[in-house]
Amino acid sequence: MPTEALRTNPLREGLTSRTMPDPCTLVIFGATGDLTHRKLIPALYNLAADGALPPAISVVGFARRDKSDEVFRTELEEAARKFSRQSLNDELWKSFASCVSYHRSEFDKFEGYQDLARKLDELDAARGTCGNRLFYLAASPDQFEVILENLRKSGLNKAREGSWARVIVEKPFGTDLPSARGLNDLVQNAFEESQTYRIDHYLGKETAQNIMVLRFANSIFEGMWNSRYIDHVQITASEPLGVEGRAGYYDKSGALRDMVQNHLLQLLCLTAMEPPAGLDADSIRDEKVKVLRSLRPLTGEDVFKHVIRGQYSAGAINGKRVAAYRDELNVDPESTTETYVALEVNVDNWRWAGVPFFIRVGKRLPKSGTEIAIHFKSVPPVLFKATGESIDDNVLVIRIQPDEGISLRMSAKMPGSSLRIEPVKMDFHYGTSFGKATPEAYERLLLDAMSGDPTLFARRDEVEEAWKFVDAIHAAWATRSDDLAFYSSGSWGPGEADELITRQASTWRRL
Amino acid sequence: MNSSLAKLQLGGGCNSVSDSFDPGIPVEIGKIEKELGHLWESSDDTKTRASLINFIVYTEDTESLSADTEVISAVAGKHACRAILIMANPLAPVSEAKAWISAHCHLAGKGERQICSEQITFRLDGDSAHALPNIVFSHLDSDLPLCLWWKAEFPEPLDEKLWGWVDRLIFDSSTWKNPAHQFSIIRHLSSSDTTGRVLCDLDWTRLHSWRFALAGMFDHASAFPCLSGVESLHLKCAPGKRTTGLLLLGWLASRLNWKPSDEVDSFITADGKMIPFVINAVPGPNLSLVSIHCGEALFELELSESGDFFESRIHAPGTRDTRQILPAGRGKIADTLLAELSRSGRHPLYTKSLELILPLIGK
Repeated sequence: MPTEALRTNPLREGLTSRTMPDPCTLVIFGATGDLTHRKLIPALYNLAADGALPPAISVVGFARRDKSDEVFRTELEEAARKFSRQSLNDELWKSFASCVSYHRSEFDKFEGYQDLARKLDELDAARGTCGNRLFYLAASPDQFEVILENLRKSGLNKAREGSWARVIVEKPFGTDLPSARGLNDLVQNAFEESQTYRIDHYLGKETAQNIMVLRFANSIFEGMWNSRYIDHVQITASEPLGVEGRAGYYDKSGALRDMVQNHLLQLLCLTAMEPPAGLDADSIRDEKVKVLRSLRPLTGEDVFKHVIRGQYSAGAINGKRVAAYRDELNVDPESTTETYVALEVNVDNWRWAGVPFFIRVGKRLPKSGTEIAIHFKSVPPVLFKATGESIDDNVLVIRIQPDEGISLRMSAKMPGSSLRIEPVKMDFHYGTSFGKATPEAYERLLLDAMSGDPTLFARRDEVEEAWKFVDAIHAAWATRSDDLAFYSSGSWGPGEADELITRQASTWRRL
Repeated sequence: MNSSLAKLQLGGGCNSVSDSFDPGIPVEIGKIEKELGHLWESSDDTKTRASLINFIVYTEDTESLSADTEVISAVAGKHACRAILIMANPLAPVSEAKAWISAHCHLAGKGERQICSEQITFRLDGDSAHALPNIVFSHLDSDLPLCLWWKAEFPEPLDEKLWGWVDRLIFDSSTWKNPAHQFSIIRHLSSSDTTGRVLCDLDWTRLHSWRFALAGMFDHASAFPCLSGVESLHLKCAPGKRTTGLLLLGWLASRLNWKPSDEVDSFITADGKMIPFVINAVPGPNLSLVSIHCGEALFELELSESGDFFESRIHAPGTRDTRQILPAGRGKIADTLLAELSRSGRHPLYTKSLELILPLIGK
C-alpha cells in the first residue's frame, strides 16, 4: 500500500514533522478560472520549489475551453510568474509543468468523465500516482451538482483498494442552511464525510493556526482567557476593495454570508473554544462546533439591536473617487445588500458569560486588515486615581493579515519626575521573528488534503451550525430594510456601528 | 523583509583591524553598553533595536572579519540579534583587546521602519584571547538564547564554563584539518551534555536537502522495498571532503540499521550482508553524486552544475525510468546558517550517524 510505504520509510525520520503527502493526481474542475491561476497553481509551484510535493504527482486541469496541454501550461506559467510568492525558476517550472495536463470537457457531459477516468488510469501507470485522486471543485458553485453527480456515475468517487479519492469543496458552502444541507447531501451522495475537505482559506493562515498555540502553549494567557479577565473581543476584517467584478455573486450574498458565516465565525470559534482533547481533526472540530452551538441566537427585534448592516456610498479610497455600491456594474440600483456588517455576539457558556464578541466586516473601508483583539478588563480605579491619569486597558491583538503577528498593549510610566502613564506596545511580527517566508494558506491546505489531514477544513456540522446562526439574522432582515445604514467609501463604516460598541463603553479599534 | 541594508555608524574608519575592513566605532571595552546606548539615542525614530538571540561568531582567521560581518548582516536580516564577532589571535606576541560597535538595519516590510541588530566586534591578541569567556558573559543580551558559531578547531581542554552557557553550538566539520580528533571532541560534548545544548554541524545542515531528496526517492511503493536490498553505494565528494560523504552514509546506516564493518569502506546489515561503498574525490562541491545500487535497480541523485537543483533518477526493471528536479538549497554559508537557525530542535540523527562513522573517519 503506498500510504503504508510512506509512513514506514525510515529515511523520512527527522526530516519533517508532518506526514508526507501520498503520490496522487489532483484534478482541478474550473482549471481556467481565477482561483486556479491566482492561488492553486502558484501554491503547487511553491510546494514543488520547497520539495514538499510527493515525487509522483500529476495535475489535471478540467475545463470547457478547447486548448492543448502546451497552451494550458503556458497560461499557468504566466500566472505563476505573476502570483507565486517565490520567483519562478525555469528549470523547476519545467519539471513541475511536465506533470500538468489539460482535459477538455463540458461539466455536464458524462463522456468527459469516462475519458477522464481513462486518462487518470494512464497517468497512474506512467507516473506512479497509485490511483490516489484529489478532486478540487474550483468551478462556480452552480456547477458543483453536475460535477459531483458525474464523478459518482463514472465511479471516480470510489478509490480502488489501497488508494483514496477525496474532494475539496470551495466556499460558498450554500447560501443558507437548506442550500448548505442540500449541497452537503449532494457531496455525500458521491463522497463520504471523511473524503470531503471544505476549504476555508482563513484556517490555512499561519496566524489562525497560531491561535491555538498562543492559547494552549502559553500558561500566561489561558488562565486569563475567560469572563473574569476579558471585557470583550473584537474581530475585524476590513478591505478597501469594492465588489471588483463579483457583483453578480456578491449582490445576492452580502457581507454576512460572504464573510461572517465562514471566515469570521471560524476565527471566533478558535478564539472561544475549550482546549480540545487532542490535536486530531475531530477533537478540534468538536470543540469548534460546541462554540457555534453556544452562540446566543439573534432573532426578531434582537437582530436590529445587535446587528448593524451598512452599504457603501460614493467616497474616496487612497485619494481616488470611487462609486457607490448601487452604482457598481451589475448591482441592482435599489439593492439592499449589506457591504458592511457589525454584530454583537454572545457565547452562552461558562467561560464567556457576559463577554460580548464584536464582529465587523466591510468593503470600501480605509485599510485592509483582519485581526482579533482581546480587550482585558480595566484595573480597579483606585491606585492611580489621584494622579488623574487615565489608564488604557490591556489589549492582545492577533493580526491575521497582513503583517501577521501578535501585539500586547500595556501601560508604562513615562520617564520623568512626575507620574505619567502611557500605553506601550509589545509587538511580535512573523516576518521579522522567524527567518522563513510564511507559506500561503493554499499551500498548507493542499498539502493537508493530499496527506489526508482534515483539521483545517470545515466539517459538515460546523458549516450547518454557522448557517443556522446567520439565517436567523437574514430572516429578520427580510422583514424590513429601513435599518440599512449608508457609509462613505473610505470611512470606517456607519455611525450606528460605533453606537453598537459604545454600549460596551468601548470603541472599535483603529487598524 | 526588504534586504536593503544600512550600516548605522556615527564614526569609524580609524583604528580598524585590517586595511580594508571597517568594523564600526571603536569603543573602550568597559563602555560598550553605554556607547551602544548613545548609538540608539542618536538614531532617528524609524530605527528599532531588536534582538531575539545572542549570535556569537568566533574566528581565528584575521582575514575573515569582513566576510563574517557580511554573514552577520544576512543573519540579522532574518533573525534580529545581538551579534558578537570575536577575532582571536592567541599566538600574537603582544596582548591587546580592542572593540568596535556597529549595527545592521533592515527595512521591515513595505514601510520606512527599520529593524536594527547590534554588532560588537572584538579583537583579542595574545593573552587577551584567554578572556574569551568573560567577553562573552559580559556582553550577552539577557534571557535570550546563545548561539555560538565556532569557526576554528575546538581547543582542548574545553572551557566547561563557556560551553555550559551555549544553547546552540554551530560548527562546520568540512573545514576541519583533523576531523577524527575534532569529531571525538564533538562526541564528548554530546555525551557529557546535561544542559540540552544543541550541536549543529553546518555540513550536516547542508546534507538536509540531500537527505530530503533521497528519502523522497524511496517513498514510492515500488521503490520502498529496495531499501532492504541495497548492495553498494557510490559517492562523489570534493578532494578533502570525504567526511561529508561519510556523514551521509552514516545517516543511511543509522536509518537502515547497518553497522560499520571491519572491512575497509563497508557497512554490514543486520542480517550480516556486506555493503561496500566508494567515495571518489572529484573537484567540485563537497558532495555531487550519490548512487545507490539495489540489485538491478539504480537510484541516483546528482547536484546540477549550478548547484541549485538535484536531478533524481530511478531506474528499476519493469517500471518506467523516472527523473525529477528537486530543490537543493542554497550553497552560501549565510543561507546554511539561516537554515540552521530557522530549524529549531536537536539533531538526534546527527549523533547517531556520527557514532557509526567514527570508526571509518580515520581509515
